[in-house]
Amino acid sequence: MTDLFRRLLRTKQGALGVVILLGITLICVFGPALAPYRPDHMDYVSRFAAPGVQHWLGADQFGRDELSRLLYGARETVPPALLATLAGTLAGAIVGTLSAYAGGRWDEAIMRTVDAVLAIPGLLLALLIASALGAGEQTALLAIAIAFAPGMARITRSVALAARQEEYVAAAIARGESGTRIVLAEMLPNVIAPVIVETTIRVAFAVMLLATLSFLGLGAQPPSSEWGLLVSDGRAYLHDAPWLVLAPGAAIGITAIGFNLLGDGLRDALNPRDER
Amino acid sequence: MTALLDIAHLTLDYATARGVFRALDDVSLSVAPGEVLGLVGESGSGKTSLAMAVMGHLAGNARLAGGCVRLGGADLTALGPAAMRAIRGKRIGMVFQNPATSLNPTLTLGRQITEVLERHRGLSSRAAWKEAVSWLERVELRRAEALMHRYPHEVSGGEKQRVVIATAFAPHPDIVLFDEPTTALDVITGARILDLFHRLRAETGVAGLYISHDLGLVARVAERVAVMRGGRVVETGPATRIFTNPAHDYTRRLVDAVPRPHRRLVQDEPPPHEVLRVEALGVRYGRKRLFRKRAEGGGIASVSFDIREGEILGVVGESGSGKSTIARALTGLVRAGGAIRLDGVPVTRMRRDYRRAVQIVFQHPDSSLNPRQRVRDILARPLRLYGRSLDEIPTLLRQVNLPGEYITRWPHQLSGGEKQRVAIARAFAARPRLVICDEITASLDVSVQASTIELLLELRRQHGTAYLFITHDLNLIRQIAHRLIVMREGTLVDRLDIRALGSGHEHEYTRELIAASPLPVGEETRT
Amino acid sequence: MSLAWLLRRLLLMAYTMLVVSVLVFAITQVLPADAAVTLLGQNATPAALAALRQELGLSDPVGLQFWHWFWALLRGNFGTSMRTGLPVGPTMFTALSRSLLLAACSIVLMLVVAVPLGVLAALRRGRALDLLAGLVSYLGISVPEFVTATFVLVVLADRLGWLPATGYVPITKHFIGGVRHLIAPVLTISLVLIAHVARMMRSETIDVLASDYVRAAELKGLSRRTVLLRHVLRNALLPVVTVVALDVGYLLGGIIVVEEIFAIPGIGRELLIAIQNRDLPSIQAGALIMAGTYAVTNLLADIAYALLDPRLRYD
Repeated sequence: MTDLFRRLLRTKQGALGVVILLGITLICVFGPALAPYRPDHMDYVSRFAAPGVQHWLGADQFGRDELSRLLYGARETVPPALLATLAGTLAGAIVGTLSAYAGGRWDEAIMRTVDAVLAIPGLLLALLIASALGAGEQTALLAIAIAFAPGMARITRSVALAARQEEYVAAAIARGESGTRIVLAEMLPNVIAPVIVETTIRVAFAVMLLATLSFLGLGAQPPSSEWGLLVSDGRAYLHDAPWLVLAPGAAIGITAIGFNLLGDGLRDALNPRDER
Repeated sequence: MTALLDIAHLTLDYATARGVFRALDDVSLSVAPGEVLGLVGESGSGKTSLAMAVMGHLAGNARLAGGCVRLGGADLTALGPAAMRAIRGKRIGMVFQNPATSLNPTLTLGRQITEVLERHRGLSSRAAWKEAVSWLERVELRRAEALMHRYPHEVSGGEKQRVVIATAFAPHPDIVLFDEPTTALDVITGARILDLFHRLRAETGVAGLYISHDLGLVARVAERVAVMRGGRVVETGPATRIFTNPAHDYTRRLVDAVPRPHRRLVQDEPPPHEVLRVEALGVRYGRKRLFRKRAEGGGIASVSFDIREGEILGVVGESGSGKSTIARALTGLVRAGGAIRLDGVPVTRMRRDYRRAVQIVFQHPDSSLNPRQRVRDILARPLRLYGRSLDEIPTLLRQVNLPGEYITRWPHQLSGGEKQRVAIARAFAARPRLVICDEITASLDVSVQASTIELLLELRRQHGTAYLFITHDLNLIRQIAHRLIVMREGTLVDRLDIRALGSGHEHEYTRELIAASPLPVGEETRT
Repeated sequence: MSLAWLLRRLLLMAYTMLVVSVLVFAITQVLPADAAVTLLGQNATPAALAALRQELGLSDPVGLQFWHWFWALLRGNFGTSMRTGLPVGPTMFTALSRSLLLAACSIVLMLVVAVPLGVLAALRRGRALDLLAGLVSYLGISVPEFVTATFVLVVLADRLGWLPATGYVPITKHFIGGVRHLIAPVLTISLVLIAHVARMMRSETIDVLASDYVRAAELKGLSRRTVLLRHVLRNALLPVVTVVALDVGYLLGGIIVVEEIFAIPGIGRELLIAIQNRDLPSIQAGALIMAGTYAVTNLLADIAYALLDPRLRYD
């Protein structure tokens, strides 16, 4: 594990990703302690205050401190995205592995259905599910998890099928290992690497999707300071107070870049044949 | 006579993350007009780097540290990229190792010849087309006109290699570089390609540089041979002399490693007790589905044979003949019809005692060890599975001549030969009665192959293990097998004692296979 | 490409659309909306509501409701909007035509920029252009459209005043104005696509450059230009065709956001309005038409792939 981490830090992307995400994690944990104001503290004197000494990132239409809202909002943006991705990955991985394991007609039927669900664009599916379940942070999370599952199922299946072709798996079958043992000890460690990479990159996508749903009014609701919602709030004052959009927009972008970099770094670090 | 191609003191470095790596070290060679020089070396010897240096096609991190390459007196290393492009393909042709990957999959075969004719001989597209067709006929391809419109995936490996050869010869080059042109092909196909090589040489008088790892083969096609090792030329001389009277130590080892069918490595006779009997073994691949069509070769039908205790049974045949399918059927990797008897007892389900008795070693060292397990874990699995003590791991490693500290190594830290030794140790962890060896030396260098075979024979002496030895190398199998079965298109066509070879009683196809596996120089007289 | 292959592919698409319609119907069934209430208003008498439900078939079993809906769909009848009272089909298809124009412009811009960018980045690996392309790619795949769109609005419309802020002018009516209104949304959408496709194109080109057949082409002494155009580009483009088709799915999602922000009356915006108003027939039609568009794109991509790659032509 420490070995993997060292290799990850040796890749340029991985190191940069780790630094960014370390910062984001600190903000998620200590954000409220670091924030100069409470996120709902209204100060009518400071309405639309430009970024300056008192309000580093300016203030909004109610005089709320933008930096404080961002710091508080991190908790409502990043952890839910992580959770949604993990839930979707887990569900997809189970379906994909079972499908690969079952093979034959079952595999065919499951994969055709997965393909059909994949034929609905991700955001559209999330949008439909979120609207069906009612707007809110939790339903948005669930919608993203459901939208992610079919794609992950397809990836896990193809990776599992590729692993099954390897001669070391054949060797395990030939010496009479049990099916569970083959899946857990021989295949899983090799299947898991690409799945981890894909999952990491999907967290970036989930951060963006979650913010998009909030932006469209189907995710977190006011007075939450979820970052997508902050962008949506600030859009009305684009001309006079562009920082209300720029700050949370940049926060979303940086977080997503962090996960994308980490994913690319992991891809290089997890390739056992490249190291020496 | 002045040399056509003159390589003098060529030194080539690669800049890598771990410092400068010297790929060629003061290499001097020359090829006279019309002469064929053989270049022999194992992987990493620098023979490919040398070919690329001659072609002026080097990787970005390569640096010529000295020496020059002269073609007809002109120094090629002094030429710019554009001038070099005018030499490549026109004055120096090249035939590649793997015709399956060296042809562009999205262009027709015809286009891949005509583009060279248009560029190097300035022909119009119509003239180039006619010329290409006539060249396809010259390399003995039938229906050349139709072939021009085909794509690489639609023709066989041998046909592809003929197209590549035609492309190399069509611009009338001074010299052609052959980079292991038969390695990726089946025995019989490879033999026919060699026949074509001899004929084209005689017709055109083109000089050649023939690169190969196979000293036995090179000694037959070249007048002179140069032996390379670690970037240096260790010995140069006439082919027959190199083979019969090598001067350098390394050359001698290479010569010794060449399989000679008449030098038997196994003298004993196995006892009559039978370990395994296979009756009417059959495997069918390929089924049609609603959305996906599938048709695979490699199935087998009613194959019967038996293996005696401690016997080495050779299985030979070309790729797709079903050799490997036998291995997969005997280890339960594919569902098979027919009957298997172990010690006379019918095997209905492959239980642990059968699995333990019958072990397998696979062809690809890179894929047969789990990349995420250390050597210790790889060997611990069978020991634990068959209820043996993990303390035996060091003994297992010693048995296969690997140092004890290897138990903490990862597979990617091992060389190909070492990986194969670990795979052999894994099979012997079960103390098997029979080990199936599925082309286990096919991807190894000759000297590594020789030591691997030696190891297998030593293990057999110690444990009395029988081997089902699957291979396409007839010279190799004739050294070690007691009996031979010959597979062709999924059926067993011949079953014979090794001593009966050459007696005239073998199947016609067996005879064809033997004819396609030329004996090393100096051995022909004994056939 | 054989007729059997095409038939199989069409059958697959039909199955896909069947699953999609079941899914869309199921999701809209869960929607907390009562069509009768929506139509008659909150103050309607229970008796009137019950009568209308009967009339609309809302009290039928779900299976029967699906069948009625599906049967109407097959005859091209998407139902009537509960919001406007107009037939949904024509409204949606008009909206789709506007979205398709937007999508087509974005794809063209993407191809013009991303393919050369990816190839050049691969050829100049590790140099300035490659690093710049890498940076743009990371930005493109990491910044959601609603943020990009807002930035584009701030810079091009608000600060520089080069472009109109929002709205839509049909190019058939006023060409220059229509084009000016299209620029900002097209830029927004294509940034993501460019990022993704340029990345893909770069890695494919690197793989193809390392292939045996490109080495063979070099060693045959062909000119650099021939090697690049005839041997590298064509083979590197092949997998990208599939990716572009998959990206259309992403594009359709992005189009919802972009149309909302730039106030373009396309299918995405219609769908969003329908969702906000719980207009069931419009939601169903919008979702189905978008999925159908995606399915057709994928079919076209598969056909293109089969035509480009001789290995698949005789499958």
